[in-house]
Amino acid sequence: MTEADILHWIRDTSLGITVRQSRWMFATGETLHFLGLSLLVGGILIVDLRLLGFLRRISMRAALSFLPFVIIGFVVNLLTGILFFAADPMMYWPSPAFKLKMFLILLAGINALVFTLFMHKGALALGEDDQATTFMKVSAGLSLSFWLLVLLLGRLLPAFEGSTSFL
Amino acid sequence: MEFLTWLEQTEFSTWLRESDWGHPIVLCFHAVGMGLVVGISFMYGARVLGYAKSFPLAAFDQLFGLAWFGFAMNAASGIVLLIAEPRRMPATPAFVIKMILIAFAGLSLWALARTLEGKERAPAGSAPTGAKTAAIASIVFWCGAIVAGRLIGYTIGPPPV
Repeated sequence: MTEADILHWIRDTSLGITVRQSRWMFATGETLHFLGLSLLVGGILIVDLRLLGFLRRISMRAALSFLPFVIIGFVVNLLTGILFFAADPMMYWPSPAFKLKMFLILLAGINALVFTLFMHKGALALGEDDQATTFMKVSAGLSLSFWLLVLLLGRLLPAFEGSTSFL
Repeated sequence: MEFLTWLEQTEFSTWLRESDWGHPIVLCFHAVGMGLVVGISFMYGARVLGYAKSFPLAAFDQLFGLAWFGFAMNAASGIVLLIAEPRRMPATPAFVIKMILIAFAGLSLWALARTLEGKERAPAGSAPTGAKTAAIASIVFWCGAIVAGRLIGYTIGPPPV
């Protein structure tokens, strides 16, 4: 199977056909994508800013309790993202903005995995006014940078297609 | 109306409509600002509703600074987007509804701050019922504003004659 075969197959799945034929599914997906984005950004800000030392007066455990919002936001955006891609894979796949966005999501995921495996336990032990380690701060800085770039690339995606519409 | 027509014909307005990058870059700022304002409002709302009780409400003070920064960014980028379409935008119901919903979301957060006055220094614990109602209202209004905002792109009409 070539790349084109796979893209054609995705386009012709029942999901792809349904989204293209529906008047409201794509627009509803976009709205949910924005809500998911807000949940992810709100939650990750609390965690990463605490790690970086901005919300020092709270325990790291209290800050990390907002992580489920990040996961919910990510899952909502993954599912709606799959919906967008199935609707028009030939448009997304060749786009450099799309590929870079996916690559940065992968990096953000690896960064989160490294934090979970090697730093999460230590972070939970940080009480009020405790400083995070340098590794934790680097991880938090990378996380904020990756997600900011993902957001910007997502918003720029339509422009890479030469579309000047509001969509 | 003449002013709006003049505004639409200014070089800046025309450039925003016709350039490849002007519009998307302004939308980037608008999306980042939305993430800051709505994201922080959502987390604050969840905390007031009883989520993460070990997280002191007072710790949100620092985040509100960031939320205001996001709001200023969106007011500015929003005005630029309005300058791009000064006649079509106000004639679009979704735009008018979005502005009303943002005003209501702001009022809800203001009411929420009022109900918590004096209590917000408490390290942890439950918020009063009034505060919870205001928190739910702010979440609902922000969701509504996002829905209306997305609908602008789909429902904006031709320039009024």
